[in-house]
Amino acid sequence: MFKKASSRLSLLVLICLLIMMTVACGVEEATEESVEEETVDVVRLEGGQDDGYPSPYAHHRRGPGSYKMNLIFDSMLERDEEGWVPWLAEDYEISEDGLEILFTIRDGVKWQDGEEMTAEDVKFSYEYSLEYPMVRTYVQKDDEIEVELKNDNQVLFIAPEPDAVLAHDLGRIPIIPKHIWKDVDDPENYLEEEAVVGTGPYQLDEYNLEHGTYRFEAFEDFWGPNQSVEAIEFIPVSDDIMAFEQGDIDLTRIGTDLLSRFEEQEGFEVVQNPAFWGYRLRFNMEDNPQLEVTELRQAINYALDLEDVVDRDARGAGVAGNAGIVPPDHVMYNPEVKEYDQDLDKAEELLIKLGYENTTEEGVRYNEAGEELSFDLFVRDDDVRLGEIVEEQLSDLGIGVNVISEERQSHDDRLRNYDYQLIIHGGGGWGGDPDYLRERFMSPAADERGDVEQQSLGYDNSELNQLLAEQRYEVDEERREEMIFEVQEILAEDIPQIPLYYPAEYTAYRADSYDDWMHMFDHHALEHPKLSYLERD
Amino acid sequence: MKKVRGMRVIEYLLTVLVIVTLNFALPRAMPGDPFLVLSDVEEEAAVLTEEQRQYYFELYGLDRPMHKQYLSYLGDLLRGDLGHSIYYNESVTTIILRRLPWTLFLVISTVILRTIIGSLLGSISAWCRGNFFDQFLFFNLITISEIPAFITGLLILFVFSAMLGLFPLAGAMSHFTTYSNWWDKLLDILHHAFLPIVTLTLARLGGIYLLARNSVVSVIQKDYLLTAQAKGLSKGRILLWHILRNAMLPIVTRTFLSLGSLVGGAILVENVFNYPGLGLLMQEAVNVHDYTLIQGIFLVVALFVLIANLMADLIYKHFDPRIESNEEATA
Repeated sequence: MFKKASSRLSLLVLICLLIMMTVACGVEEATEESVEEETVDVVRLEGGQDDGYPSPYAHHRRGPGSYKMNLIFDSMLERDEEGWVPWLAEDYEISEDGLEILFTIRDGVKWQDGEEMTAEDVKFSYEYSLEYPMVRTYVQKDDEIEVELKNDNQVLFIAPEPDAVLAHDLGRIPIIPKHIWKDVDDPENYLEEEAVVGTGPYQLDEYNLEHGTYRFEAFEDFWGPNQSVEAIEFIPVSDDIMAFEQGDIDLTRIGTDLLSRFEEQEGFEVVQNPAFWGYRLRFNMEDNPQLEVTELRQAINYALDLEDVVDRDARGAGVAGNAGIVPPDHVMYNPEVKEYDQDLDKAEELLIKLGYENTTEEGVRYNEAGEELSFDLFVRDDDVRLGEIVEEQLSDLGIGVNVISEERQSHDDRLRNYDYQLIIHGGGGWGGDPDYLRERFMSPAADERGDVEQQSLGYDNSELNQLLAEQRYEVDEERREEMIFEVQEILAEDIPQIPLYYPAEYTAYRADSYDDWMHMFDHHALEHPKLSYLERD
Repeated sequence: MKKVRGMRVIEYLLTVLVIVTLNFALPRAMPGDPFLVLSDVEEEAAVLTEEQRQYYFELYGLDRPMHKQYLSYLGDLLRGDLGHSIYYNESVTTIILRRLPWTLFLVISTVILRTIIGSLLGSISAWCRGNFFDQFLFFNLITISEIPAFITGLLILFVFSAMLGLFPLAGAMSHFTTYSNWWDKLLDILHHAFLPIVTLTLARLGGIYLLARNSVVSVIQKDYLLTAQAKGLSKGRILLWHILRNAMLPIVTRTFLSLGSLVGGAILVENVFNYPGLGLLMQEAVNVHDYTLIQGIFLVVALFVLIANLMADLIYKHFDPRIESNEEATA
């Protein structure tokens, strides 16, 4: 009898606990409003992970490290919602032959230690970054770009050949003070207070690498727009949603499940991040002659219902892949390229034209030579579901797919060695300069610069190769944009790879605390641009 | 007797050597190489040029023959050098030493709390064996200890931090504040550590409780207790002096033996509370694929477990000299 009584009592305790937790949700919501109003001068963000000392040489490689550094260090150009804008350089001119870039440096800019910033510092930063490459490098010694001081406020860069992206690459180098760095010969281990003296809107006030906390304070003598936030703090967070709801942090990423919860509540804003990260289906054409045939790749694209892929794999939080490769949120996206809405009839027509008329007992098509349309598809272990959705959709057309999943390291290794027939791979950087199209799709044989990492082994289109080579030399932005548009049209026709979808998460922020967030034109995170913390028109 | 001890030492040294060798061999047996991720700035498996890869291979000595790498690895370990973190660009030993005290603080506090509470509850349960209180403790403690520590942690975090606001949501201390004296700082650290310690203690209480209960139950049936009762000694004195003292041996051994698994538990709990110990570091290292750091943490944890076992061995012999004489007899 005692046994029964104690079991019942224990059950009662458990039920009470559950009820308390349910009630807790109500209590939590009720207390939110009182907390929200407290953070006016401070924006608190998720930290807790060491991103390194925020000097251009000591921050860690991933995004959060470099964007913290950018709060302190300015560069000649900056990125807003639309594109590149003058920053420490109030203007820049590119000569007609595209070989010379003249930056005019702003007057009256002060370093955070009170010294005056000059064009000499700009020249020094460039030369120093060649000697000691910063964590993120944009221009290298091999590029053979010369620099000279034209006068007190102008710096001239001279390139051996015209280069469409050079002005931006030079424009994003963090400018460091010559009077501090000139005697430093081990910059990676230079972790003194002086190492974080920049001209940027924020100064490092406190940094604790053990706890992963950072505090940045507005720099009073900042040359540019007023700061709209007095201090930015990065603090450790256990569960980001819980911390966000409690008011510990002012911004967080949320999944589709939580959308309605924050969209409907007053005081919260939710925005969808631009989609600059994407999953793509890649082909190894060189080792699989079947895949070399454009019509077959087109048929595969017609067989895929990419909207359905977004719905099922990302529960709608994403943008369906664009055959022109460049994602729709990109500033140079061409909306006019050939589209491949799912069309099984068209796909079948293409396959029959190629001779894949009959099917095996398992429903896999084969041609007269007995070649079956059956492929191994490699995916990373996190992406098995995506692989299975593709498998299911392609099987409707009679294309057999065998999904093989692997852990990340093996997967990346396989990717590097082109050891696959089909592979699904996710990656970022799709928002950046469209020169990535050259690096990914130009045939290595046509590559004069030596930096092509071909993603579609065996793909070679001479017209495309020429366009891709030319756009890199075209310094007239409008003309270049036309070329990039044309490139997208060719890619959409050729289908050297199929972008499946670009996941687009949501960001929720406490509008009552701070609501002046913005996206840079090529980047997905609201909290990364320094302009997010400055007054804008 | 010396021979027995010598054998023991050799056993431990061999175990260390096996662990160290595995630690050396496993990452090298994995496909790919750690430098893939170095160029993985935007989460893109970018490709380093052959030249760059070669540079990194030489920098980390991976281009040398395997036996040379192994010997220099052993040499470095003897000097306390666990290698250089690829991602953090800092000595692994330094990184680990910075985080280790936080984990040790959690683990040692938990061990003390859990041993005291578990033994007391176990003794009381045994003393009241069969009645309602015993049943109640038995059922609840076993139930709680069957729930994985990170789930208990999440529940506790939710109730006491998010809902009641009694404790901070994350971290090991308050940030961007100055303490007026060391006492305030200590209180702040204890305030932050309270929930992680409670979580770990709750998750590990069941084992000690059961052990103490069984141990006390077996002692209660001994004849000398009848003598003590006949002498008219008080219940408290009998429980503490005659029962607990004799029942302590297995509890002490268990305490030391379980140190290793407690470190494992702490790793999970630290992740729940974002507590800056080895566990959180491990997660960070895995996220950025920092193999040298992962290896370093693994080795430190493994050595910690071995040392705990060794201590359990020694203490057991100290408390119960019969063990040693048995070993001598069989040696």
